[in-house]
Amino acid sequence: MTLSILAQLAVSGALIGLVYALIAYGFQLTFATSKSINFGQGELVMVSASFTLTLITLGLPYWVVVPAGLLFGAALGLFVERAAVRLALEQKSEGWILLTIILGLFLFSVAENVWGRDDRPFPTPISSEPIHFLGVDVTPVELSVAVGVFAVMGLIEVFKRQTLLGKAFEAISADRDAGELMGISATHTVMLSYALSGMVAALAGILVSPITTVGPTMASAMILKAFSVAVVAGLESGFGVVVIGMFLGALESIASYSLGSGWREAPGLLLLILALAVRPTGVFGKAIIRKV
Amino acid sequence: MLVVSDLHAGYGLSEVLDGASLTVKAGTVVALIGANGAGKTTTMRAISGMIRPSKGTVLLDGKPVQDLPPSRIARLGLAHSPEGRKVFGPLSVEDNLLLGAYRLLPRFFGFRKRAAGDLDRVYALFPRLRERRRQQAGTLSGGEQQMLAIGRALMARPKLMLLDEPSMGLAPVIVQEVFRTIQRLKQEGMTMLLVEQFAKAALAVADYAYVMERGRIAVEGSPAELHKNERVIAAYLG
Amino acid sequence: MWKRLLLIRGAELLMFALLIGVPLAVQNPYVLGLLTLLAIYGILLIGLDVTVGYLGQVNLAQAAFLGLGAYTAGLCVTRLGWGMPLATLAAIGVGVLLGALLALPALRLEGPQFALATLSFTALTVTALNELEWLTGGAQGLSLSRPPLFGHLLSAREFYWLCMALLALVWIGMRNLLASQWGRAFEALRDSPIATDAMGVGTYRHKVAGFALGSALGALAGALYALNFQYLQPQTFVYELTVILLLGVVLGGRKSLWGAFVGASLVALLPNLLSNRTLFEAISGVGFLLSLFAGVRGLLRRAMRPFQALAPIVATFALVVGGLLVQNTEDWRKAIFALMLFSVVVGLPEGLMGFASKFLSRLFRIPDAPLPAASPLEQVLPAKKERSGAPLLELRDLKRSFGGVRAVDGLSMTVRAGEVHGLIGPNGSGKSTVVNVVSGLYTPTAGEMLLRGRPLPRGSLFDTARVGVARTFQNLQLFTGLTALENVMVALRGAFPKSRSMPLVLLGLGRREEKRAQADALALLEFVGLADQARTPARDLTYGAQRFLEIARAVARKPDLLILDEPAAGLSHPDMLRQIEVIKRVHQRGVTIVLIEHHMDVVSGLCDVVTVLDGGKSIAEGTPAEVKRNPKVIEAYLGEVEAGPAASPVPTAPATA
Repeated sequence: MTLSILAQLAVSGALIGLVYALIAYGFQLTFATSKSINFGQGELVMVSASFTLTLITLGLPYWVVVPAGLLFGAALGLFVERAAVRLALEQKSEGWILLTIILGLFLFSVAENVWGRDDRPFPTPISSEPIHFLGVDVTPVELSVAVGVFAVMGLIEVFKRQTLLGKAFEAISADRDAGELMGISATHTVMLSYALSGMVAALAGILVSPITTVGPTMASAMILKAFSVAVVAGLESGFGVVVIGMFLGALESIASYSLGSGWREAPGLLLLILALAVRPTGVFGKAIIRKV
Repeated sequence: MLVVSDLHAGYGLSEVLDGASLTVKAGTVVALIGANGAGKTTTMRAISGMIRPSKGTVLLDGKPVQDLPPSRIARLGLAHSPEGRKVFGPLSVEDNLLLGAYRLLPRFFGFRKRAAGDLDRVYALFPRLRERRRQQAGTLSGGEQQMLAIGRALMARPKLMLLDEPSMGLAPVIVQEVFRTIQRLKQEGMTMLLVEQFAKAALAVADYAYVMERGRIAVEGSPAELHKNERVIAAYLG
Repeated sequence: MWKRLLLIRGAELLMFALLIGVPLAVQNPYVLGLLTLLAIYGILLIGLDVTVGYLGQVNLAQAAFLGLGAYTAGLCVTRLGWGMPLATLAAIGVGVLLGALLALPALRLEGPQFALATLSFTALTVTALNELEWLTGGAQGLSLSRPPLFGHLLSAREFYWLCMALLALVWIGMRNLLASQWGRAFEALRDSPIATDAMGVGTYRHKVAGFALGSALGALAGALYALNFQYLQPQTFVYELTVILLLGVVLGGRKSLWGAFVGASLVALLPNLLSNRTLFEAISGVGFLLSLFAGVRGLLRRAMRPFQALAPIVATFALVVGGLLVQNTEDWRKAIFALMLFSVVVGLPEGLMGFASKFLSRLFRIPDAPLPAASPLEQVLPAKKERSGAPLLELRDLKRSFGGVRAVDGLSMTVRAGEVHGLIGPNGSGKSTVVNVVSGLYTPTAGEMLLRGRPLPRGSLFDTARVGVARTFQNLQLFTGLTALENVMVALRGAFPKSRSMPLVLLGLGRREEKRAQADALALLEFVGLADQARTPARDLTYGAQRFLEIARAVARKPDLLILDEPAAGLSHPDMLRQIEVIKRVHQRGVTIVLIEHHMDVVSGLCDVVTVLDGGKSIAEGTPAEVKRNPKVIEAYLGEVEAGPAASPVPTAPATA
């Protein structure tokens, strides 16, 4: 394999890997405030993307469709929190693992029936003409993924640092009880984190759909990759998910080319199991102190 | 201002509080002292809502609050500087202080301007915090964290301040500084309920005191009365 | 005793007899196929229940093991020409091996990450099965024909009986396992993994063994599956199957063999349920009425949160209405499973069997098997002659920091054999941290710890317990789901070699050791005065009794050093006196004790030597009387004040000595 092919694969793969990173970022948001994640996040990505596609086919302009899709994602996130997570958190159990899995399955079935089982193309105003840059071909669509991911992650980080509500979010993540003593409602903060996570998932779906098409199974494979990224990078480091995501994407792309497309999934899954074995809190995460 | 009646509370099966009652009048400093394990911190937590009492009432300005979540009680004007300080480690000193005033400030933007006056007052009281305003709270020393916890509570412009073991884990010199601050706040008219294992320091600054033993109030009175009370000494050293 | 046996075993025998007898009466091949599936799923779900029910983890890999077992058996038959017994054994072997390989990394993790690891394993397995076409035939599938068993070609009916026989064997083996030390260990590590390690019972190794067992059963089911259908496809063993299996286990009832069986029946019947609209409506209707009844009842009694009561009602209602509205229930199967599982998880978490057993236990009171006589105390907690006063535990300049906070800041202390050594100090002085470092919960940042002159294991509760250091906890860490007797029996594990070996226990050997363990545990309960509460679940004991139980459990391993972390915390006065008595009795048997306490009367009554901590360092050491008079100690506890309104001198002689 020549260097130029390697570079090409790595770059294209890394850009897709940013989508995994974005979904993993969504996990971090909810994990920070509630130590829980949505196992059905893939379905959230898919349903939001399908909804957005429907709006497009209804003829609505993009500047309406994209925000609508994002709001829809946020609403779904709130639904997940209320239906699957809150009860388990109140009972201080891990029941949300099973409940979010169930909810995901339900949404999958709904999507299958509402939108059909076929994969449909997602029209985009962005051109697919590759730009030649430093010896590598990149399409504007792929670039839009990078722009979208960094923009949204950047915006959320700004929100966390510059608004009081964002600081309250960080406070509850750091110390829930102390936050409550300041008058910050932990429940509302968890709801916010799920809404943001849902919105982020919707964006991931919108960004990746032009490349992968929209269908019920579009996110099933992606979600495991996002899990790998989240676990390897640790559920606490924003920077880590980007790095790991790009790395994983590149690795997959190369594996798919050299070993065959069916083996595409393997690096991520192996990486996950190995990383969990070696350092359960992730490469960038912090060690946990037990309290007795 | 605060009336606690016949409070029963505990963790799981163990009932730590077995019918505790106390009153804090507006503008006064009340001390709650007693040996470790007597139930002082449990009392504070039951008042601020961190745990729910199984029996009894807590009245804040006449309003029953024993069943409310802590965030609601905080918004009614109660500020609790908890045992162990519990500052928000990853956030800066200034952010911690701003969050103290959460209930009073706009959520998104403009909060820094609105809080500027209160921030200045707290920095005047704790100049060392001003020096370290951008530093991560988790990296401050124990004494500085205690100042921050008190400052954070002050930012809420509370009607009533609960101070839980402010001297815990601090060197004697720092403890003196902390109590000088508490004395200053008292002079400014702040109503405070102070839980302390350092009985002498607490009694020196209090207007009234309660001695807790095994989940109940054993003795109460003015500091002068308590100093002469043999039972007080017994409650501490066997 | 016969009544007991009859009731429990009788029901099982009856069920098996019925199942075996059915094909003799009914000639329908469809029914036979269904019953065979029932047997196979029964084995599969019993295996899944080990991790989901007994270990309490969400295990998403059982479908993968079904597939792995099936393909292993299939390939052994087609490629290697092996017969049924060998192929099945090979499948089981693969299950154990891969199960252990997956478990070793995966079980180090907390719940959600464990679930993720198992999910990845499933995905990886399906990918491998699809891609390794040269081996597995890939997406086109693998065909095999059932080889003859010992020269005799099995009819469908005979194959069914074979599966039933295997199910019966698995059932008996599991029952033996769960009634033994293993079952208790599983329960214990769910209630308190920390205490389990501290009692010298390795949490991790038990979890790995349990997972490997569950996977082996999954693989066995897979082999039977392959031999039954004689055609395999990778697409069968996917995520959706895993969720269906979870549905079976949760709906049937976790932690229960009967529950797994009921769940298996449901899973086997599920396709029928979907195709027959009337049956579907009937069952969803019943489900709806039940959740309505349970929900309203729960709300009125304030036993449930509103969401818990209402959500199942909404979900079952959706099932009823949806069933009427949609054209084809097959298309909506995933949603149907999801709604069913949701209603069960939220509304009936203990499953059908859990609910039934509560109901049945109110009807029939099965008397417990009588306990053996208590062993003599000398056998259980021998009096040690080691009162030499030689140093037993030495701490040299011990340090432990958390971030910037120096919780223990250079502590040097010697505990001599045979003494009761108190450790006191104000809140935040580092007492609990010292104990947590010594017992192995935390690793020291610096300094040395020596036990009888040799370095103490660091950072591992399990290793430290194994060298003879036992401890209790400030916040009780009892195994709340077990009885008082069982709590102590968990800690006795090391003493009984046969019970430690899983294969031996599965075969039913080790029952005599079980009786011995009961006798020993009973003796320890007598020692702390709880013999009459042997059968009470730990969570139902009074707080004082729970504290005594912690001590009985801690001395079960005959420790040389016992660390008591605030044993009198929260005790009423009479219980505190009793606790002092118990500790004295332990001391009289020659056990060296380190005692953290706040109650000075406890300290004065028990301790020979007291070390006072403040700010992570030792500030005084001596007899309780000396220490109480020490001005530095008084200052540390009561505090100094520069200029108070009534600054009276520090009293030199306290009111009570």
